[in-house]
Amino acid sequence: MLSTTMKTLCRFLIVAMMSLSFQYANAGIIATDRAAAVAAAQTDRALVLSALSRSDVSSQLQAQGLDPALARERVAAMSDQEVRTLATSIGTAPAGADVSWGAVIIVGLLAWFLFYRT
Amino acid sequence: MCGRDGKAAPLGGVAHRWLLWLLLLSSLAGCAQLVPQTIALRDDWPNGVPRAIELRDVPFFPQTEYQCGPAALAITMNAAGARVAPDDLVPAVYLPARRGSLQVEMLAAPRRYGLIGWQIPPAFDALLRELAAGHPVLVLQDLGLWPLSQWHYAVVVGFDYAAGELYLRSGENERQALPFTIFEVTWRRNGYWAMVVTAAGTIPASAGETDYLPALLAFDRIAAPEAARTAWDAFVARWPDNALANLALANRLYAERNLTRAESVLRAAARAHPASAEILNNLAQVLAEQGHGDEALAVIDRAAALPGPFAAEVTATRADILRRMAR
Repeated sequence: MLSTTMKTLCRFLIVAMMSLSFQYANAGIIATDRAAAVAAAQTDRALVLSALSRSDVSSQLQAQGLDPALARERVAAMSDQEVRTLATSIGTAPAGADVSWGAVIIVGLLAWFLFYRT
Repeated sequence: MCGRDGKAAPLGGVAHRWLLWLLLLSSLAGCAQLVPQTIALRDDWPNGVPRAIELRDVPFFPQTEYQCGPAALAITMNAAGARVAPDDLVPAVYLPARRGSLQVEMLAAPRRYGLIGWQIPPAFDALLRELAAGHPVLVLQDLGLWPLSQWHYAVVVGFDYAAGELYLRSGENERQALPFTIFEVTWRRNGYWAMVVTAAGTIPASAGETDYLPALLAFDRIAAPEAARTAWDAFVARWPDNALANLALANRLYAERNLTRAESVLRAAARAHPASAEILNNLAQVLAEQGHGDEALAVIDRAAALPGPFAAEVTATRADILRRMAR
């Protein structure tokens, strides 16, 4: 119960702090990623979502067997676009990985049925 | 997956298995739907690409169990000049629960070593062009038989069109020869996904201005200062009119305190893009820091006259310039 409340509170604080930081204007050089975000017509909302996606993807990577420090490092190497893509597809994206055993069983049953039952 | 037991047998046998299926299916469905790009190559060979190439110097690292991702990535990264072993890349791309590596991470990992990963267009045309330019191409194949998927990363290092074969570093096989047709069937199942890895300053042969820009912006986020500057220098040399690339190059020069060059890049960019408030803002700042207050003020006033999302920064820069001049 407490952890759900804490999670909600943290999310609220992250969003609040992010939106504050966007309203603060620095004198001097406009940074490349800021110019790129504007050029890509990214709204502040999209930037906040990217920041949330980063922590989301990082915890999803941890759920897939990575330790937290490694997961953070790996997410740090990704662009905002990549993070948003992965946030929605990490469970379904092909991973140079598994044979799906459900399908093996279905095919096996079918073959058995066709060869021995008919 | 990369071969369940890490042995080469499933990869070696795959050609024959596929050939049987192909014969069966092609009689049912007709070849054109199975291998549209191979058929198209017959009448439309890419301009300027030779009919046979093999990049023999590309190193080979055999995969260990399930780890075709790190092995394939190590092959392409070494070819691009990094000295890195597959085991070094396991913590960067391997996902234990999936016993494999995700495409996004394959593209992101080279950045951590100062190299740039880029997904090439999903076509034989792009793949052949990259090989002709000397870049091995990392591909994602599906070696399973429908409806089973058996995802596998391999590296294409050459082809001989007359012989009808492509040559791959794949799994434990240092030189696997696959017919174009069979390769296409395994390659198209995830939308012809393929990537190249290049050193900063080398632009892939099939890169276009708008496709390639995001790869450099992603690189710029975490790259070492000099590598990032080299990459932007090459981009601007190739596509001199790109406003964002000029801004990025100038920012890297500014960070190196090479204000003279930053100024000249921004001046040229401001001439080409007179309505870009961010270029004018940065030019004004660079001028001010070199003690050219009057000209900085004139430039920032031009930026202030433009509407847009940088109004707050421009106002702050202008106030800063005035403070600097009053000192």
